[in-house]
Amino acid sequence: MTWLVAALEWQSRAVVARHLSVYMRNWYTAFLPPAFEPVTMLLAFGVGLGGYVATLTWQGRPVEYMSYVAPGLLAYATFMTAIFQSLFAAFIRMRYQRTWEGQLTTQVALPHVVWGEVLWAGLLSTMYVVIVSAVLTGLHAAGFLHIKVVLLPVLLPVVFVAACGFAALGLCFTAIVPTIDHMNLPVFLLVLPMGLLSSTYFPLEHPVLVALNVVNPLHHLAQAFRGILLGGPIAGPLTGVLILSALLLGILVPLDLRLLRRRVLGD
Amino acid sequence: MSVLLDARNLVKHLGGRRVVDGVDLACESSQIVGLLGPNGAGKTTTLRMLYGFLHPDEGRIQVNGVELGRDLVRAKRSIGVCTQDDTFDGDFTVEQNLTIAATYFRPRPTDLARRVGELLDRFELGPYAGQKPETLSGGYRRRLMIARALVHRPRLLFLDEPTTGLDPQARMGVWDLVDGLRAEGLGIILTTHYMDEAERLSDALTVLAHGRVVARGTAKTVLGDLVGEHVVVVEAGQGAAVAAWLTAQGRGEPASVLGAWHVPVSGEELAEFARAFPALRYEVRGPTLDDLFMKLSLTP
Repeated sequence: MTWLVAALEWQSRAVVARHLSVYMRNWYTAFLPPAFEPVTMLLAFGVGLGGYVATLTWQGRPVEYMSYVAPGLLAYATFMTAIFQSLFAAFIRMRYQRTWEGQLTTQVALPHVVWGEVLWAGLLSTMYVVIVSAVLTGLHAAGFLHIKVVLLPVLLPVVFVAACGFAALGLCFTAIVPTIDHMNLPVFLLVLPMGLLSSTYFPLEHPVLVALNVVNPLHHLAQAFRGILLGGPIAGPLTGVLILSALLLGILVPLDLRLLRRRVLGD
Repeated sequence: MSVLLDARNLVKHLGGRRVVDGVDLACESSQIVGLLGPNGAGKTTTLRMLYGFLHPDEGRIQVNGVELGRDLVRAKRSIGVCTQDDTFDGDFTVEQNLTIAATYFRPRPTDLARRVGELLDRFELGPYAGQKPETLSGGYRRRLMIARALVHRPRLLFLDEPTTGLDPQARMGVWDLVDGLRAEGLGIILTTHYMDEAERLSDALTVLAHGRVVARGTAKTVLGDLVGEHVVVVEAGQGAAVAAWLTAQGRGEPASVLGAWHVPVSGEELAEFARAFPALRYEVRGPTLDDLFMKLSLTP
């Protein structure tokens, strides 16, 4: 279980601190996507699609479409931030910038590099969700949607855990794809289907999709956020998020390490 | 002088092949050990085991008295590594590269700002402190790589082909810096393909071929053992008689460079050669590490 202990060691924190330092230097460019993405999405889905679907039924009660979409947007931001950070940014650091190799010549070992990437993706997703939450709070204040904004901070620990799980999934592909062009495969075959068919932007009632979503942590995340922000069942979806995230971390981090040991160290 | 590196009987298999086969290596303070060998000899794998990238399948490594396999983190505190390829952090400036590297060590280097300033001065990187590393010339990139490897004040430094691709002036600049580090008491393990570099800088050489140590000692000893006392250079075009003589001596075809054969011989063999070919035009010179490399490359 040394791979697990590495998550708590100072070297992993040093790697996270390095990534945070880079992010903070470019904060103005890093801040814009999470600030504008929800506005764009709410315009597209909320105002655009919502014009046709003013309300829909969720948990047996009518919900404004804009209010339905808002928690989904937070879940989607969690997922996409973590996945893209662990797919593209981590791949660039590993392959092109050779940042990992530089770190590995120090007291940092491969488990710390991997946990550093996972924890950084968790932290970045949490920061993104904070920014998206601020935008949603503004839209709530302006009367465009109605959610329990006071409970938004409650989501943050869940965002962090779920994002770490998603990052472990992303790193698997980082470990095996030969070039950055091959990232299209996981993006189109896994990330987009997983992202869009997960009740983030619209409810899914087809029995096949419902069955598939039992193992989709993003679906449980969106439902848990909806339960918290709109008032609905929380325990079931939250348990789903925590169990699936723990499984992703428990199974995929050791696998990531095994695959990356071969790829990065040649061992 | 204290022993900074003591590696015994290192064995490593990669892809089902025994890439390193029972290598011993030692380095003391104020000593530069050159690790040589042709491509595929096992140099890089040996080096990667020594600085903790790879775990040896067999054998043990002690760095500054600490067993690498038992306490990797503590052992790595004494090690500085300058890899063959540039692995500086492209997201940071030259100065920030030194600072960020220090965060990967515990205990943290004391008085870090002063240490970074010292390194910038010593490696003449001061004027470029605020620039990104990719804007530097090849020579200054190498300087940054070595400076970064020293930020935590290690006792043992690994330099993996530190001057590959540099112009002669930049190479000599790096040699001066390396020589200065030795004078300060650092133990240095150096790999290089430049034979003049190995001869000039190394106090001792370890030569690898097919994963094994085939010679060790000073350059002179290694060359005497593996190459011979002299090298006869003769045009290959004149060679039928020479080829017959070599065959009679039980030798295969010698290394050929630009149409000339380079035949390593002992003193006695040289006298015999002179007797056998009184009218032949040839040159006799001392052996170099280039001869050693060519010989090892030709040895199956």
